[in-house]
Amino acid sequence: MSIIPKENIEVIAQSVGINNLAPDVAVELAKDVEYRIREIMQEAIKCMRHSKRTVLTAEDVDSALSLRNVEPIYGFASGDPLRFKRAAGHKDLFYVDDKDVEFKDVIDAPLPKAPLDTAVVAHWLAIEGIQPAIPENATVDVIVAPSEHKKSEHKEDGLPVDIKLPVKHVLSRELQMYFDKITELIVGGSDSVLFKEALVSLATDSGLHPLVPYFTYFIADEVTRSLNEFQLLYALMRVVRSLLQNPHIHIEPYLHQLMPCVITCLVAKRLGHKFADNHWKLRDFTASLVALICRRFGHAYHNLQPRVTRTLLHAFLDPNKARTQHYGAIQGLAALGPSVVRLLILPNLEPFLQLLEKDVLGDQKNEMKRNEAWRVYGALLRASGQCLYDRLKHFPNVLSPSSHAAWKLTGRPVITTPPNKRKVGPDQSAEQPPLKKAATDGLLSPNSTTSFQTEPPQTQVGDTVTMPMSSADASHVGPSSSSTIRGQHDSVGPMRGVAGRGALNASKVLGQAWKDDMDAGRLLASLFELFGESMFSFIQPPERLFFL
Amino acid sequence: MDDEEIHRAVMTYLKKKGFKQTELAFQEEQRKDLSSVETDPDIARQIISFAESENGPAKYKEDYSKLRSWTYSSLDLYRHELLRVLYPVFVHCFMDLVAKGHGQEARNFFLAYREDHELLYLRDLQKLEGIILPSHLEEMEFARSLRQSKVNIKLCQYSYELLLQYLHKSESMKMLGIINEHINFEVSSGQSSSISDDAEAVTMIGSTQDAAKELNQKEIRWGLLEDSLEERLEKENMASEAEKVDGDGKDADMDDNKKKAEGGKSGVSLKKVKKDKLLGATGKNIRTETSTVSVAPRVKSELPLPVVPMEVEHSFLEDLRNRAQLGSSALPSVSFYTFINTHNSLNCASISRDGSLVAGGFSDSSVKVWDMSKIGQQSENGNVQGEIEAAQKGQVLGQENGKRSYTLLQGHSGPVYSTTFCPLGDFILSSSADSTIRLWSTKLNANLVCYKGHNYPIWDVQFSPVGHYFASSSHDRTARIWSMDRIQPLRIMAGHLSDVDCVQWHVNCNYIATGSSDKTVRLWDVQTGECVRIFLGHRGMILSIAMSPDGRYMASGDEDGMIMMWDLSSGKCVTPLTGHTSCVWTVAFSCEGSLLASGSADCTVKLWDVNANTKGPRAEEKVTNTNRLRFLKTLPTKSTPVYALQFSRRNLLFAAGALSKGLSSYNK
Repeated sequence: MSIIPKENIEVIAQSVGINNLAPDVAVELAKDVEYRIREIMQEAIKCMRHSKRTVLTAEDVDSALSLRNVEPIYGFASGDPLRFKRAAGHKDLFYVDDKDVEFKDVIDAPLPKAPLDTAVVAHWLAIEGIQPAIPENATVDVIVAPSEHKKSEHKEDGLPVDIKLPVKHVLSRELQMYFDKITELIVGGSDSVLFKEALVSLATDSGLHPLVPYFTYFIADEVTRSLNEFQLLYALMRVVRSLLQNPHIHIEPYLHQLMPCVITCLVAKRLGHKFADNHWKLRDFTASLVALICRRFGHAYHNLQPRVTRTLLHAFLDPNKARTQHYGAIQGLAALGPSVVRLLILPNLEPFLQLLEKDVLGDQKNEMKRNEAWRVYGALLRASGQCLYDRLKHFPNVLSPSSHAAWKLTGRPVITTPPNKRKVGPDQSAEQPPLKKAATDGLLSPNSTTSFQTEPPQTQVGDTVTMPMSSADASHVGPSSSSTIRGQHDSVGPMRGVAGRGALNASKVLGQAWKDDMDAGRLLASLFELFGESMFSFIQPPERLFFL
Repeated sequence: MDDEEIHRAVMTYLKKKGFKQTELAFQEEQRKDLSSVETDPDIARQIISFAESENGPAKYKEDYSKLRSWTYSSLDLYRHELLRVLYPVFVHCFMDLVAKGHGQEARNFFLAYREDHELLYLRDLQKLEGIILPSHLEEMEFARSLRQSKVNIKLCQYSYELLLQYLHKSESMKMLGIINEHINFEVSSGQSSSISDDAEAVTMIGSTQDAAKELNQKEIRWGLLEDSLEERLEKENMASEAEKVDGDGKDADMDDNKKKAEGGKSGVSLKKVKKDKLLGATGKNIRTETSTVSVAPRVKSELPLPVVPMEVEHSFLEDLRNRAQLGSSALPSVSFYTFINTHNSLNCASISRDGSLVAGGFSDSSVKVWDMSKIGQQSENGNVQGEIEAAQKGQVLGQENGKRSYTLLQGHSGPVYSTTFCPLGDFILSSSADSTIRLWSTKLNANLVCYKGHNYPIWDVQFSPVGHYFASSSHDRTARIWSMDRIQPLRIMAGHLSDVDCVQWHVNCNYIATGSSDKTVRLWDVQTGECVRIFLGHRGMILSIAMSPDGRYMASGDEDGMIMMWDLSSGKCVTPLTGHTSCVWTVAFSCEGSLLASGSADCTVKLWDVNANTKGPRAEEKVTNTNRLRFLKTLPTKSTPVYALQFSRRNLLFAAGALSKGLSSYNK
């Protein structure tokens, strides 16, 4: 009946020396005990409230007991919250952990430190309603949360909110005509000479500011509506560029509307509906546009570039995204500068290439897909190459001798080239013949074809990355076939060996690529591993001599 | 009534009780004269209902569940009205069961339907939950008052008819009985009232709600004290700026002089004059609407007021002239005093009117006073400096106590639950669990008087706005008025049904407001000691009260984080302010009454816009409902619950609280 079982009463009775408590007395007592306990808790909660606390303590219960003229329970006066332990085997039975203390220990123990004395410190919680950012005040995160709460509150209560009436925007007739003409040109005749003139006008005219919101809206609207109209998108992006270039336009307030469109044109899955549409060009152009925006407004809006890079990085790192999206993301990141590449692309380079491998090698029939993959590969190559170039330019003397030694050792056998589809530099044609040699060299190296079957090379290298490559090699192309693609991959094999010997782990190096003091030589080494010879085209001749 | 039925009922009863002989005899007799006796229908009904009452406990549950499901399936339009009936019926069913000794059944019944009412009546339910024995009903005053009183429920005509129809048709006599016994229906013609205005339905109080309503009809003079500093300042302005009000000003002056002469006379004659004066004052003030306070009518104090020294008065006037105008667009600056290393022992904090002194009451029976003008010198500047300078004219704290940064006041023999500064900052009162109030001097750093009178811990003590008088509230369910020069209370206000948790003076010193654990706020006339208003609507114990400077409104905060704004003259809630998630320890109005600040255990100070209310006081009747207080800003502290808030005369807001990192993490 009551939440206190009668057994409890019996136990308590026994503990005070009453052994023959009648069971029905125990039942009746249990009822009353429950009521009394509730009563005391009610009083204890009052005491707690008046001590301005929200946690009940043992003192509160003592105060409640003394309120009722009951002897308080001694021995629980502790400043700390009591530590309750769950009784084994019971779901909702708790007890206070009360350790036995050796009397001698207590006496022998040094005196505890005196607690610090109470003090009062003053600070400004708010100055004219605004909280200064000082350590005494709650951190900004805490402030943000309640403001959201406040918003919802407004909705709930339907409290009157100051509503600003929309301002009537007056556009002169001339401006309206200008706007109509331009939009017409964008939609219709973006090839015409007139359009070029229009772009120049947009980039230079000083009286266009009233039209900016309309243009922004128009661009945003058109981009979302006609994603498969390549010409239109390209024209729109050129308009954006012109607007950005115009020194008389204050475009910042509209950036938040423009950025999504621009990013869309960079990383959308499909742009244009025909195969012939050179959406790569559009992406390249947009990437430069993004870079331009970040350069111009990055200082004023600190989170602009981080947000852009985050979006792009997302597209880049998601293996489920289409190649076109990857391409856009890489181009966008590359346009933001070599340090972004070093920071974000290089650490992820190896896994990404591994993914790419499948498409590059994979289904030969799907030319389209392969083409796309190569595009991406090229973009990556260029991005990392530029990054490397940047490093070398800044630190010309950082090529450490030790790595030189390693490179010199193996420099010759690994001279390979990427596929002819890529224009990588003047070296390419010259290196076509050594390719075969590289392949054969590869055979001579520990990674021979026979061992491919039984003993995958990665066991020697200690790196899983080579696994898919080599198995792909082994499965579909004979060692003598001098497929350009294969050659490139074969070159990786021996390189692995070198890397292993030189204690250079490519992935590790790339993982550290973000570090400023990173040895450019080691970076080059790892990039070389991944891209092969084509990396050299980004190195200035004097340095290249080191390697060749 | 069918004979057959009665016979059957009687038979089952006999069978159940095991009266075999009687049963046989009854059958015998039945066979003999089957149609001879004409049974009286009344008796028949009684017999049947008696048979029913045999399976009493189950019947209660069955009937209640029927009523409940009927209510829930009733028409949408009337459902919310009918739902109000359920709670009292539920509570009384439960208590009936207990009273009849069916403890276990009562418990089962309670648990079965408890959820329905938890949302609105959680605390009541928690109280009632423990009742098992009939004796508990007698002992617990809450239950007793419920048993004795009737609940008023407003119903529209139609829902009332629906209910009656149902009760008769379903023949649930138990429910009908309970409803008849404990519920008063106020049937109003027309449409069912909207849900929002049933604040009264929430609280069940001991006295009937009729009484409360009647009480709230009484006249209340909420106006400001005449001849206050504000008024004087205003007059000064008036004299300097305009000539056409010149004559008027003279009138007022003459009036004042007359008043002063009469000041010593007894209350009766004063009241008459007061009414005249009231009219005159309002008449005058219509023309002088220079500031919001001036609109309030003036009343004469019923207490002899202490005399304020000239130089202090001047500094006050200076402060008033330099007061920052606050509003929804001009938020106050807040200076926060954080108590550190309190080891959870700080029970209360208070700040002197000028912010220069801070007192804390501790659970180790001590009161500690900090002089912020010495400590905070480095960290504060500008505005505060001004405040402090103003303060230093009035007082000089005693010599520094060695290493300690504070003055330790020892004398109590129990946790100190409240401290308060007198308006000039030279006295401190502290109230304690040892059921005494002690008066301390900040100049001498010594205990001057010990006031004994309460029998239980004193939860709150507050100086009146003019000093000299103070009010205390206690666990003994009374509030008392004292003056500094007497050790006996002057008035005892009794009437709350539970602890009186907080007390606050009205600005004109003629009234005090008390908040209690019985979830009501009451307003008492200081002169007569009578209760003049009961404010119903809170759902938890009331922790803090503040009076608006124009004397018209009152704000009270409860343990659920709800703040309610009351109109004193109508006794109605202007608007509830929701936003805090935990106990509202303190509320404070800015000096011109345009802002309300509230401090809570959820470690925030919130600012609310009150201007909407004070602007159109005369058109009040129409606008009260549309007036909504606006939430302005939350100022979170760094895990420091806010214990006290105080606007200085220049409208700088001071806040105090104890840093309690461990506690907050423990909470989560």
